[in-house]
Amino acid sequence: MWDGIIIGGGLAGLIAGIRASERGKHVLIISEGAGSLTYSSGALNFGDVVQLRSRENHPYALIEENVIQAGMDYFQKLFPDYQGVCGRTQTLFTPLGSPRTANIIPSGQNAAVLQDAKRIVLMAPEGMKDFFSKIIKTNLKICYPQCIVDIYPFRISAFEAWHAIGKPVTGMEYARYWQSGPGIAELKRVLAGVTITCSETVVLFPGLATAFSEPLKEVLSETPFPVIEMTSFPPSAGGHNLYNALKQKFKSLGGELLMGTGVQRIELQEKECRKAIVSSKGRPTAFAAHSFILATGGILGGGIEVTAEAAQETLLGLPLYVPAEWTKSEFLGEQPYAHTGIEADSDLRPVDPGTKEVLFENLRVAGRMLAHWDPWTDNCGGGVSLTSGWYAGEKL
Amino acid sequence: MKESKVVIIGGGATGVGILRDLSMRGISALLLEQGDLAHGTSSRFHGLLHSGARYAVKDPGSAAECIDENLILKQIAPHCISDTGGWFVQTRDDSPEYVEQWTKACANAHIPISEISPSEACRKEPLMSKDVLRVFEVPDATVDGFKIVWANAKSAKRYGGQFKTYHQAKRLIMENNRVVGVSTKNLLTGEEFMVSCDIVVNASGAWASHVTGSIGIPLDVICDKGTLLAFNQRLFQRVINRLRPSGDGDIFVPHETITILGTTSEFVDSPEENDPQEEEVNKLLEIGRHVLPGIMKNRVIRAFSGIRPLHREDHDVPGVNKEEGRNVSRSFALIDHELQDGIQGLISIVGGKFTTYRLMAEKVSDRVAEKLGSMTPCRTATEDLLPVIPEHLHKKAAQLLPYAPVEKMLERLQEDAESVLTEIQRDPRKGQMLCECEMVSAAEVEKAASDEDTHHLADIRRKTRLGMGTCQGAFCTYRALPLLWDKKEKYDALQDELRNFLNQRWKGIRPVLWGQQLRETELTRAIYASILQVREN
Repeated sequence: MWDGIIIGGGLAGLIAGIRASERGKHVLIISEGAGSLTYSSGALNFGDVVQLRSRENHPYALIEENVIQAGMDYFQKLFPDYQGVCGRTQTLFTPLGSPRTANIIPSGQNAAVLQDAKRIVLMAPEGMKDFFSKIIKTNLKICYPQCIVDIYPFRISAFEAWHAIGKPVTGMEYARYWQSGPGIAELKRVLAGVTITCSETVVLFPGLATAFSEPLKEVLSETPFPVIEMTSFPPSAGGHNLYNALKQKFKSLGGELLMGTGVQRIELQEKECRKAIVSSKGRPTAFAAHSFILATGGILGGGIEVTAEAAQETLLGLPLYVPAEWTKSEFLGEQPYAHTGIEADSDLRPVDPGTKEVLFENLRVAGRMLAHWDPWTDNCGGGVSLTSGWYAGEKL
Repeated sequence: MKESKVVIIGGGATGVGILRDLSMRGISALLLEQGDLAHGTSSRFHGLLHSGARYAVKDPGSAAECIDENLILKQIAPHCISDTGGWFVQTRDDSPEYVEQWTKACANAHIPISEISPSEACRKEPLMSKDVLRVFEVPDATVDGFKIVWANAKSAKRYGGQFKTYHQAKRLIMENNRVVGVSTKNLLTGEEFMVSCDIVVNASGAWASHVTGSIGIPLDVICDKGTLLAFNQRLFQRVINRLRPSGDGDIFVPHETITILGTTSEFVDSPEENDPQEEEVNKLLEIGRHVLPGIMKNRVIRAFSGIRPLHREDHDVPGVNKEEGRNVSRSFALIDHELQDGIQGLISIVGGKFTTYRLMAEKVSDRVAEKLGSMTPCRTATEDLLPVIPEHLHKKAAQLLPYAPVEKMLERLQEDAESVLTEIQRDPRKGQMLCECEMVSAAEVEKAASDEDTHHLADIRRKTRLGMGTCQGAFCTYRALPLLWDKKEKYDALQDELRNFLNQRWKGIRPVLWGQQLRETELTRAIYASILQVREN
């Protein structure tokens, strides 16, 4: 008998599992695959919390404001390699070299130091996929007119065979290489080759993610100039590193992770969830628990399936909030369909959208499964998943 | 002020067909197109090369034209056509009397048909409904609209023909009841100028009445909107038609790795009204279900709509409802405005079908030639559309590229293939597939991006198929950015190009937003709105 079973191993599910394990709970996470966190830049956005809380149904409005703060503080205590302050944003770079902001970012991505720079050196690894140095250079010159921008092309022997046949090297592959023993030595050599023509030089490095790697952080601490890591086009090392760190943390706290198997169904008894039935090697296996968390990732994660006729929560068939108008004409503007999800009470338990009656006493909903928010126009993708996951773990 | 013997207005299949025909006869011609070539109806149809069987009962004249042209195009443009064959299937809902009527009509129009047993049919097309009663094989085929339009334009160019895209014919210039030129606007620069000529050919399809309207001549063109669906799989190996009087949503047409289902029919007020609607999509799915019972399980990538320009005066078929588009004849009308309105030097060509574009071009060119006193006969029915691609290029492409994209790339690029391959040889990185869904190399996109007649990301799409696959631009749009950047003087700001392109793709995804395509859409929004921070203005 588990204290808690969490279905879904993305950002919300893993944070919930970590918090609950830390509280001494015996927790199992069952996840069909890696969450969409691996696509992300690794930076987490909380959005305008006060404004979003003023929206009656927004997930932030379900929980107290200090819970949001507590979730954020918790994450940073967990991962000192991340930095940020609630209510304030940090500057980092998009893969196209334009500055953007986020609330919690890996320290290595922080671009604040560029305000006082006179020269930017953009590292240009040979054959790197989805990396466009000329566009980045132009964007940098627009945003930092006081700076000279130099592109520094370099190649390393490890990928020579790839270059010869025109095979691209993704940011992920470069980042992984830098983390290896030979990679660390090579990174030192490459950085030593950058000449300093003025004292306020800052180096911008794509395909490098130092968070959670002590040797890499050490290399960068020894350079005579600050090095800023760029986020990259998906899949990105930043997202992968965070995902792996969360998994490791969860396991180190005694949590168990069952990957690659979806939950087939939940055995119910009146208003309680009892067992998660998993189909493994063709045979159904039952896992019983006192409490459950549903964090199956919404539409993108596969927790909500939409057909031409209807939207459906895939595991329990929980009733969903589905907007009457589905789309709007501007693709990157507000899209009503994104608000599809499960309505919940202040304890994150699912409620009937009509009667607001709590449907299951021992089930909580977290992350993208919650209704009434759009991570991209509300700018709070990481924030909602992190805080609702943390809160669900706290309550488990 | 520019000069040309003939000005052709409209860069669809008919317009470029006329340009090629006249150029082959040595008559100087300039084609003006307000957008990109094939941006209108010529790329917004099901891509079916009709055998004529669909029209055999109701419109035997059209049926006979179709079968003739079908055989001609298979000869002269095999690279644009996939000779899949087609079936007409009678389901339990379809009348047996009609089947008898149809088989006789096909015989009369000399369309070869042969019956096969339902059990054999189900074996060959396992996804097809098991409830079919009778199945007939016909020589239907599939045709790539973009490819054949570009092949005509390139061939015309080799014979000295000229075309200008993003050039709008603002109005016709008249002198003593004679059209002597076209006032033209370059929509990219705003520059206006006049092209003088002896004859104007109005081949602007759904826009034809706008052109003659500029000199007060009415032309009754009905805009008949047809909506289609694209599935991300090749569901059938051949064209599947319902054996019944033509109706909505009853033809499946396989193209490469996808299948198109069409078409609805609804009159609209203007050619710009081409947004596919949810009700049309539902109608298509409902009707398509009879032939493909598992239709709802298949992923729909997008919906799209085209405007059939029908000529109203042709539709005096007795006993039909005059307001229903499908009952207006699909044959074409050549209107010599000298005979009809007393205006010299103006010919309009309206109506017709993609399958008969060449014949329409031939008839128009014959009339133009006659007026100009040229005795040179038409050669488009016999001369190959595509120049022979030399063997060494096939070999070179096979060495430098993965197997799948080789032939497609050679057929798209024709004489430009050599330079693209040389570039890949020089820099193997450019042999990477920039568009991984449609297998388009970075070098080919780079070539298309630098062509003088390319002005937007969507133009690159029509030339290369970039962004037409399952990801609908999520990955390749980003990857095309540096190529636009290198030629930035020709393009809008990158953010604008990107937003416009994504919004154009969105138009077709919106009415089919469910299942895997919805998940794909969420990923695309995550990439552009969050990771790249591109926002609406």
